[in-house]
Amino acid sequence: MDFHQLWTILSTPDNVPIVLLLFVVPFYTWYALRQSFANDRLIAELEANPEMAKTHHRKVQPYKPGWAKEVHVWPYLLRIEFLAAIIVTVILMVWSITLNAPLEEPSNPTLTMNPSKAPWYFLGLQEMLVYFDPWMAGVVMPSLIIIGLMAIPFIDANPLGNGYYTFRQRKYSILTFIFGFIVLWVSMIVIGTLIRGPGWMWFWPGTTWDHNRLIFEVNRDLPDIFGITARVGKIIFGAIVVLLYCVAAAIGVHKLLTRTSFNRKILARMSVLQYVTMQVFLVIMLALPVKIMVRLLFRIKYIWVTPWFNI
Amino acid sequence: MSDQEKDPVVHSSLSKPLFIWSALLVLSLVWGLYDEMYGIRPWKGYEARFEKLYGRYLKQAKLPEGELERQIKSSAEYQRLTREMNAAAAEAAPAAKAIDEKVNVIVPQILALNDPFQEVRSHIGSLTYQIEVTRSESGKNSLRKQIEELKQETRKIQLPGWAEAKEMKFDDMNVLLLQMKAQKADLLQQRVEIMKKTTEISKQRDEYLTDRIPGASTETLTSVQNSLDKFDIQIRQIHIKDVDLVDRCESCHLGTREPVQLTAASMGGEQVFASHPNKELLKIHDPDKFGCTPCHGGNGVALSSVTKAHGYNKYWLWPLHHKENIEAGCQQCHVKEIVTEMAPTLNAGREIFRLRGCMGCHRYDGFDREADEMSSTTQQIHQLDQQKAEWIRQAGFDEQKANNPRTSDADAKKLFQESNDLKVRSTGIDAKIEQLDMRSRSLVREVKKVGPSLKEVRMKLKKEWIPVWLKDPHNWREGTKMPTFRLDDYEIQAIAAFIWQSGVTGQLAQQKPGDPVKGKEAFETRGCMACHSMGEGAQKQGGTFAANLSREGEKANYDYIVRWVHNPRQRTEPYCAYEKKDLTAEDYSKHNLPFVFDLEHTKCPNDGHELQVQQMTPMPSLRLTEDEARDIASYLMTKKHDNATYQDAGYMDDPNLKNKGLALVRFYGCAGCHEISGLEDEQRIGTELTKEGSKPIERLDFALLGHQAEEEGWETHKGFFEHKLADPAVYDQGKEKAKQDRLKMPNFNFSKPDIDAVTTFLEGSVDSTMPARYFYAPADQRQDIIEGWWVVRKYNCMGCHRVHVGQTTVFDTMARYQDPDWLEQKPPTLIGEGARVNPEWLMGFLNNPALSETDTDRDGVRRYLHARMPTFSFSDGEIRKLVRFFQALSSQAAPFIAQQVDPLTDQERTMARQLFTSEGAPCLKCHMTGDPKHDAKATAPNFTVAKDRLQPGWTKRWILDPAMMAPGTAMPSGLFKRDGDRWVFAGPTPASFNGYTKDQADLLVRYMFQFTPEELNRLRSSAGAGAGKP
Repeated sequence: MDFHQLWTILSTPDNVPIVLLLFVVPFYTWYALRQSFANDRLIAELEANPEMAKTHHRKVQPYKPGWAKEVHVWPYLLRIEFLAAIIVTVILMVWSITLNAPLEEPSNPTLTMNPSKAPWYFLGLQEMLVYFDPWMAGVVMPSLIIIGLMAIPFIDANPLGNGYYTFRQRKYSILTFIFGFIVLWVSMIVIGTLIRGPGWMWFWPGTTWDHNRLIFEVNRDLPDIFGITARVGKIIFGAIVVLLYCVAAAIGVHKLLTRTSFNRKILARMSVLQYVTMQVFLVIMLALPVKIMVRLLFRIKYIWVTPWFNI
Repeated sequence: MSDQEKDPVVHSSLSKPLFIWSALLVLSLVWGLYDEMYGIRPWKGYEARFEKLYGRYLKQAKLPEGELERQIKSSAEYQRLTREMNAAAAEAAPAAKAIDEKVNVIVPQILALNDPFQEVRSHIGSLTYQIEVTRSESGKNSLRKQIEELKQETRKIQLPGWAEAKEMKFDDMNVLLLQMKAQKADLLQQRVEIMKKTTEISKQRDEYLTDRIPGASTETLTSVQNSLDKFDIQIRQIHIKDVDLVDRCESCHLGTREPVQLTAASMGGEQVFASHPNKELLKIHDPDKFGCTPCHGGNGVALSSVTKAHGYNKYWLWPLHHKENIEAGCQQCHVKEIVTEMAPTLNAGREIFRLRGCMGCHRYDGFDREADEMSSTTQQIHQLDQQKAEWIRQAGFDEQKANNPRTSDADAKKLFQESNDLKVRSTGIDAKIEQLDMRSRSLVREVKKVGPSLKEVRMKLKKEWIPVWLKDPHNWREGTKMPTFRLDDYEIQAIAAFIWQSGVTGQLAQQKPGDPVKGKEAFETRGCMACHSMGEGAQKQGGTFAANLSREGEKANYDYIVRWVHNPRQRTEPYCAYEKKDLTAEDYSKHNLPFVFDLEHTKCPNDGHELQVQQMTPMPSLRLTEDEARDIASYLMTKKHDNATYQDAGYMDDPNLKNKGLALVRFYGCAGCHEISGLEDEQRIGTELTKEGSKPIERLDFALLGHQAEEEGWETHKGFFEHKLADPAVYDQGKEKAKQDRLKMPNFNFSKPDIDAVTTFLEGSVDSTMPARYFYAPADQRQDIIEGWWVVRKYNCMGCHRVHVGQTTVFDTMARYQDPDWLEQKPPTLIGEGARVNPEWLMGFLNNPALSETDTDRDGVRRYLHARMPTFSFSDGEIRKLVRFFQALSSQAAPFIAQQVDPLTDQERTMARQLFTSEGAPCLKCHMTGDPKHDAKATAPNFTVAKDRLQPGWTKRWILDPAMMAPGTAMPSGLFKRDGDRWVFAGPTPASFNGYTKDQADLLVRYMFQFTPEELNRLRSSAGAGAGKP
C-alpha cells in the first residue's frame, strides 16, 4: 500500500471535488430514495384509504394529522434556502482560502506531461477515448449526450411525480438516470481521476504510479478475429454486428419497458416519434457499457471498422 | 397538541442554526480578510520584524562607534581642522553676507518680473503659431501686426525695492530679466569662491574621521536610521524592463543592500535579514541591472510563501541554488571560462570535469577547444580556397571580356581594373590561409589527452599489472584519475589483451642503474611534485594534477621511465592523422629519409601532412641530464609495496581475445581519454552536458528510484547529479538489464566537495533565457584573460606559480619548503607579471626557459632555482595566449612599446655604481653575478637580463617596496625614502650624491637598464676590492 501516492492523488486540489463526489453522490442518492420510498408508502396508504386522503393531502413524509396540508414558500421554504445559502457560502469561503488552483510548469511543446489529464469534469469523456475512436468519443457521443438531455422533457409522457419525491411513479426515469449519471458518468470521472495513472494505465488505488511500468495488452478488431481481411468485408461485417446489437438492444429495452402495467400505460401515451427517439438514445447509451465490457473482457478494439469512423 | 406533534416545517425555529452559521460566515469572512492581508503576504511580517530588529541593532551599534568617534573628534588634529574651518568661515563671512544680501534683493525682483514677461511671451507664442497655420498672406500680416502691437504696448512694472513703477515694453523686460539672472549667477559663483577654503577644510575633516572609523560612522548610521524612520511596509521589487524580470526578493531579504553589513547574529539570529556576504560581487553585478534570480534562481515574483519564492515547489523550473551550489548561477553567463574569479567551487567543478576526464566521454561546449578549433580551421581554409579560386576565375572572365573587340574602351578599362582588384584581394586570402595553416599545425601540438597513451604499454608497463589495475584503479592507487569500471573478469582479460596486443613495439636503450638517493632529492626539488604526489594516506605530499607515484616501481619498466623522465614528449612512432596509422622506420626508409621526427620534423614522409610527433601529455621536459633522469627513474623504481603479487597474465597474448577486447574498449569509451591504436578518431560515448542543467526533469532517468526521490525530496537536477556522481550505477538499481544495456559511467570515487563542485558546474550548465548582454563575453583585454586561463590550467602553471591573488601553490604546502632556507627556492609569483616583464622577452622565455640553445641545464633567469622552469614546448598560439593573458591581468597596453629610459651622464653612472656596491645596498650579495662560486649562494636573478626582461616602471615600483608586491620576499623594503616629490636612498649615500636633485630610485633603474656584462665584471672586481676594506 503506497500511502504517499494515495495521499498525493487525493490531496491534489483538483481532485478534492472528486473525493467529495465519492461520498456526496451516494449519500444524496440514498437520501432521495429514502424519501421517495416513504412517499410511495404514503401514497399507497392514501390510495387504500379514501377517508384519509381527504385530510392527508401532502405527498410528503413524515406527516402527522393536524399538520398543514400545504405551506407557503415564504417563509417556510425561503428560510431554509437562506440557511442553505449561508452554509454553502461558508464552505466556498473556506475552500477558496485553503485550496489554491493547482499550477504546473509552463507549457512545453516538446514535452507532454504524463499522465496528461483533462479537467475533472471532462475526465468522463477522456475515459471514453479508451473505448472509442476519437471521432466517436470526442464528437459524436458528447453531442448525443447534450441532445439527449435536451430531448428528455419532450419524450417524457409520465405526468406523475412532479414536486414530490417518488420512486414507484417514476421508476423507469430514475433508474435510467442512475444508470446514465452515476454508473456511466460519475464512475468514469472517478476512474479517470483516481485510477488512471502514467500512460493512462489502470492503477488500483494505493498502488504506485510507476512511470516505468510496462503492461502487455493486445487488442484486436472484431473482424480480424473472424479472419475478415478485405476492407469492404470488414465494413459489411461490422455493420451487421452493430445492426444486430441495435435490434437486440431495442428489443431488450422494449421488453424491460413493458414489464409493468404502469409502464405499459405510459407507453401507450407516447407518440411513435417520442418512442423512437427514446429508443435511439437508450440503445446508444447502452452501447457504452457494452463496448467497455467487450473491450475489457474480450480485448476487442473495434467492432465496425471503416475508413471514416470506427465503432 | 403536544410539541412533538407540531409540524416541524411550520413550527420549528431555525434561529439556532441560522445564528451558528451566520457566525461561521462572519468568521470565515474574517479569516478571508486575514488571509488576504497577512496569510498570503508573509513578507509583511518580515518587514515589520526587520524594522524592529534593525532599529534595535542601530541603537546598539551607535554606542561603541559613537565612543570611538568622540575620541577622534577630541583629537588634536580634528580640533585643529575644526578651528581652521571655523576661522576660514569667519574670514569669509562678511563678504559672503554682503553677497547674500544682494542675492536676496535680486531674487524677488526676478520672480516679480517673470509673471508679466511670461504673460506677454505666451501671447506672442500663440500668435506666432497662428501665423504658421494661417494660409492667406493677408491673415498672416494682420497677425504679425498684432504681435508688433503687443511688443510696443507698455506695462507698468513695479518691482520690490523700486521706489516707483516704470513703464516697460516687452523687449525692455526681456533685457532686464536676463541682466538680473546673469547678476545672480555671478554673485553665487563669487560666493562659492569665497567659501572654497572652508569647504575644503570641512571635507578634509570629514575624511579624517571616516578614515579612522572601521565600521559605519555615526553619520551613516544616522542616515540609515532616518531612512528606517520612513520605513514603509510595501513590496520592494527590482524591475528590469528589457528582460521582463521582476524580483521581489528584497521584500523579505531587506538587509541585502544595506550600507551597514548585517549578520544573522546582529539581526536576532534571522538569516533572512543578513546582508549580501560579498559586496564586491554585488558591485560588479548591480542588482538594479541584474536582479537576483538570474544568479540565484528561485521565483522572483512569488511572495506567497518561502517555498514558492525560493522555487522549491514542484513545478518551478529554476529553483534557488543551494548554498553549496550557489556558484552555479555564475556558470550561466560565464560559460566560456575555466576560471572565474570569486567562484572557487565552480572552478573546482570545471577543473574536475576537465582533468578527471569527464570530457573524455561527455561533450561540453568550449571544453574541447583544440579539436573544435581544428575542425573550424580546416573548414575556414577550405572556404577561403574556394573563394580564392572563384575570384581568380572571375578575374579571368573579366580580362577575356575586356579583350573582346566589341567592348568599349571605357568598359574595358573598368574590367581590367576589376580584374586587378580581385587579384590583389586574393593575395589577402593567401595571407589568411597561411595564418590558418600555421594555426592548424600548432593545434596538433596543443591537443592533449587526459590519460597516458596506451600505444606504448608494451614498453612502459609490466604485463601482469594491467588486469589488476583495470579491476579497481582506486584500490591500487588512491585518488587516481582513472575511474573504476564495473568489469567482470572476462572483460578485464579481453581489454587487457587488446591493449597489450595493440601496443607498438619499439627499441628502448638499455639504461644503466642510477642513484635512488640522488633521485629522491631531485624528485623532491626539481619541481616534479608540483604535479605529482608521493606517499600514501597521511604521508601524501605534492600536487594532484598528475598521478601519485608511490607504487610506480610495481608497474613500470625502468628503461622506459628513464626515457620518459628525460623527455616525456618523446614518442616511439609518430602518428599520421591522414593515414590514420603510426609511422614506422620503414615508412621513412621508403622515401630515403632517416627515422627522425621531432618538433622540427613534423611532415609525414608519405603524404606531407602534419604528424603528431609528441606524446599528448601536458608533462613538460625538465631539461634534466641523462644521469639525473636515471637517478629519478631509479628512485621511482624503488617505490613499491613489498608484498604485492601479480598473477600470471598469459592470456593477454591470446589473439582470440583481442577482437572482443576491441569491442569492449570501444564500448566503454576508453579512447576518450587515452590514445589507443586504431581508435584515434573515436567519438565520445556519453551524452552532451552543455545544457544538462536545464534538461526537463522528466528527461532525467531516475529509473526505479523516481518515487523514492520524490518522497525524499531529491527529484531535482541537483539530486540527480549528486546521486549519479556518488554512485554512477545508482539508476540501475533493481533494473533487469543485460550487461551491455547497463549504465556505463565508471565510478570516480568523488569526495563530497568534489560532488558539490561538479554538481555546481552542471546545475549552472543551462540553456539560459537571459539576453545576450548578460553573458560575459568581453571584447577587450578581459577576453585574453579568459583564453589565458585555459592554457594556465592545461599546463598546471598554478602548481608552481601564484597566478592570482589568494591562491596557494603546491610548494606552499610541502614540508621542505616551510624551512626558511628553502623559501627562496619557491618558484616566483606571477602576480603582476605582465607589468614586470617585457612581453617580447616573455615570449622568448616561454619558448625556451633556459634562454640558451646550448646550455639547457638551467633556468634562464633564476639559475639558483632547483625547481627550474621546464620546457613545455608550447605552440605559438599558446605562447601568444599566455603573454596576452599576463599583459591583460596587469592592464598593459597591447601591442607593447618599450618605455624609454634616459641615458646616464658619466657622473650619474659613477654615482649609480657607488650606490650599487655601497654597504647600504649590497645588491650583488644576493643577485647573481655570473661568478659560479657566488652564484651557488645567490638567490636573485642576474642584472644583465634585466634590460631585456623587465619594464622600468615596474622595476622602480619593485625596488621602492618589494614586500608590498610579494610579501615574504628576501628583497629588502625601505631602501628609499620620500623626500618632497622624489625618492632618495635611505642609507648613507656616497659623497658624490651631494647636490644631486633628481630621483635616486630612477637613477638606479636607469643604471640597471643600461647594464652590460662588462659593467657587471667591473662592479664585481670593485666590490671584491671593496670587500677587502673594513
